[in-house]
Amino acid sequence: MAAPLAWPSSAAVLGRTCGRWLFTGAAGGVLVLILLPLIFVVWLSFFRQEIPSFPPDGYSLRWFRAIWTNPKFADGFAMSLQVAVVAMLAGLLLGVPAALCIARFRFAGREVLNNLLLLPIVVPGIVLGTAIYVFHVELQGFFSEVTILGSIGGLVAGHILLVIPWSVRLVTASLAGFDRSVEEAALSLGATPVRAFFRITLPIIRPGIVASALFGFVVSFGNLEMTLFLVGAGRTTLPIAILQYLEWKIDPTIAAVSVVQIALIGTAMAITNRFVRLSRVV
Amino acid sequence: MARLALQQLSKQFASNIAVRDVTLDVGDGEFIVLLGPSGCGKTTTLRMIAGFVTPSSGTVRLDDRDITNLPPWKRNAGMVFQSYALFPHLTVAENVAFGLEMRRSTADIPSRVAEALRMVRLGGLEGRLPRQLSGGQQQRVALARALVIRPDVLLLDEPLSNLDAKLRETVRVEIRELQRQLGITTVMVTHDQEEALMMADRLVVMSNGEVRQVGTQRELYERPADRFVAMFVGRSNSLSGKIVGPGRFETAGGLRIACHEGAIGPAVLALRPERLALGAMAADCVNRLPGTVEFVSYLGASIDLHVRISPTDRVVVCQPNRADVRLPVEGDRIEVGWPADAAMVFAQETAPVPN
Amino acid sequence: MLIGPATVFVTLGLLVPIVILFRYSLNDFKAGVMMVEALTLKQYALFFTDPYFIAAFYRTLRVALIVTLLCIVLAYPLAYTLARTQSRWKNLLIMLIVLPLFVGNAVRAAGWMTLFGNKGFINVALQWLGLIDHPVRIMFTEPAVIVGILAVNLPYVVLTIQSVIEGIERAVEEAAFSLGAGPWTMFRRVMLPLATPGFVAGAIFCFILTMNAYATPVLLGGPQFVMMGPLVYTQFAVKSNWPLGAAVAFILMSATLVLTAGANLLVQRRYRR
Repeated sequence: MAAPLAWPSSAAVLGRTCGRWLFTGAAGGVLVLILLPLIFVVWLSFFRQEIPSFPPDGYSLRWFRAIWTNPKFADGFAMSLQVAVVAMLAGLLLGVPAALCIARFRFAGREVLNNLLLLPIVVPGIVLGTAIYVFHVELQGFFSEVTILGSIGGLVAGHILLVIPWSVRLVTASLAGFDRSVEEAALSLGATPVRAFFRITLPIIRPGIVASALFGFVVSFGNLEMTLFLVGAGRTTLPIAILQYLEWKIDPTIAAVSVVQIALIGTAMAITNRFVRLSRVV
Repeated sequence: MARLALQQLSKQFASNIAVRDVTLDVGDGEFIVLLGPSGCGKTTTLRMIAGFVTPSSGTVRLDDRDITNLPPWKRNAGMVFQSYALFPHLTVAENVAFGLEMRRSTADIPSRVAEALRMVRLGGLEGRLPRQLSGGQQQRVALARALVIRPDVLLLDEPLSNLDAKLRETVRVEIRELQRQLGITTVMVTHDQEEALMMADRLVVMSNGEVRQVGTQRELYERPADRFVAMFVGRSNSLSGKIVGPGRFETAGGLRIACHEGAIGPAVLALRPERLALGAMAADCVNRLPGTVEFVSYLGASIDLHVRISPTDRVVVCQPNRADVRLPVEGDRIEVGWPADAAMVFAQETAPVPN
Repeated sequence: MLIGPATVFVTLGLLVPIVILFRYSLNDFKAGVMMVEALTLKQYALFFTDPYFIAAFYRTLRVALIVTLLCIVLAYPLAYTLARTQSRWKNLLIMLIVLPLFVGNAVRAAGWMTLFGNKGFINVALQWLGLIDHPVRIMFTEPAVIVGILAVNLPYVVLTIQSVIEGIERAVEEAAFSLGAGPWTMFRRVMLPLATPGFVAGAIFCFILTMNAYATPVLLGGPQFVMMGPLVYTQFAVKSNWPLGAAVAFILMSATLVLTAGANLLVQRRYRR
């Protein structure tokens, strides 16, 4: 009696197990596809020979030293870092109050303003770059005594534009799950609105602000398309330096530069992750 | 401690009138419960007392001060929120200390916090964060935080609705005892009539933004002002029909019933289930109607019998559960009766009635 | 108002420049004098009559559609697994997916170059296995660009779909199973309709990103494989033809917007509740 009943059910179990295996395998395969280029960049950076051929002749750390002999990378790195820090701070200063406003008050045109502030994410980097470039050309026509075209100020202003939507988006998101009665509780306990904001609201939305600082920094640091138009003659940022080098050749030096960048961004993410679970903000 | 007085308090949101002409006096140390279905304006009324909602008209007075336009942080009203609204980034002790810090009475903060936590039996949990506490513990932190500032009035916004049934029972008694012991003037909002009946000194029944009746449990139950109150507080059978002559009521199903009061015209007859008698017990009643038992539910202390008395009318009869009486079973034919004064007659009205 | 400064900044920094860019695209271009003030659609006409530009346009559209389709299909298993996992490594997995997103497209292209080159890993591995005698050309082909962009876009799409699936109660799936639906039926009848907003958002994002890709086609496609993004840059910065560059930028932006809005409308109509 038992055998004929058991047979089909065990086949079904087998089928289901296979299906689940296939599904998980596919998920793993996609993860590998995402990570594959990074794995190979890291591998290449340790090759001993200069030509990237497989299998490698041996391993060496000398390319990491070679980075600093190429001034383009050192300068680009310094420039990217400075621009990203300033743009991140200014973007937060503009974006966080705007996010508070959007999340808190109901006013006419609120949706429109929200969408306007998120627009810089949607407009393609290349279009953004050309548009800001021609804008600078026109501005330069009006104010001929100051340098606008190709200036660091212009570059930073463009990058601030990239940071604003991230800070608006992440801070409004962190305010969306916020129970307003927590603020009301503070008020009924005798806190003025200003004190309630600094003692209660701000600490609670801090994860959102930390996350938008990270995103703002990283988005600015890694921007390529818009920066191409605004960087100005004689200057370079790290992503541009990497692109221009790669258009010429691929070798362990560029891989080592990439590894430094990966390490930097990985560290920034790990630090942020201590303040706010990345799985909750992304 | 203080007396609280609401005078013709109204609130209008855009075209929607949330609260209309609420007038209420709360005595020193009294426990008032605002009771009504959701959307009846009870929470808006409470929030106007707390200062989160500015009244469109009317005044709020605390003792002899007019606090209508005072911001919440100057009112000295302790509030317990439905969600508790604990500060998630502060420990239990810091939560409780918050109100004292805002008052800059820094001297005895630790001892007052400790005392408040002892009062709600949370000693030893000072260093925990809210998310590390159970729902019941969070509720008690919220209570301690509201009480520690020695508020003039304690406001409770559905404070028990997030607790499970068993816990709710004990917390009701705890809050009530604490309130009596401190003699603190309290206004609570709830939609749970059992909770309201258990805790209140007096109840305020609200519906559609208006006060329907203010009174003690007994007044509301025995002399409801209108059909809404009769249906909302306790249970009632309602028979709709009309008054056809002095003391004579006829249901829509054609039953003729003797009653006391009422003007001629469409009306509703309300009957409390426990005032109905069955079989031999109904022998002396003015109104006796034959019926069929359709459904019996055994509730332990009492038994509910659903008896059909006409094709369109069915009444619930609540009988005490006695060992010596044989219970009717489903399908039994039986006589239902009640004295004339058991029937409460209300004019037909359009306002929605809770089910 | 708190919102004022940001609004002014975005309006001045984004809207005004786009208007000026549009104005530029209506200007005329003469070799030697560069831009000439005019009000003409000449640049747009030029674009749509020149086979070189038309080829670039269609190439970009084709790559964008293929990548978007592949992206949606490939992203689902990983997104679902991430959304439903109870593993304590979940946070690490998310980090692993977010990290490449932040590292930059050029760096990732470098990784693919290591794999795709004539002496790259793939060719060496295939030769070692004896499957091929001579290296196959992978670099500077359309498949190379598609794989490159696919890997760039997958993290965005995975995370978008994952967050939507997380918002769908597990109990809904269990209810479908208990009512006799198999995994495939459950996916088709329950998960797909519920997760449609996630799929649509992911697809739109992916499509926009591909249409405007820059570094990947430049590095993996080479100078012959011209897509719209690099074309804008070449016209602007290399050829100094601002009117034509502006027109190409506008055609790119309009094509992206029109196609995404159209797709959005179509899906909304089908899944209207």
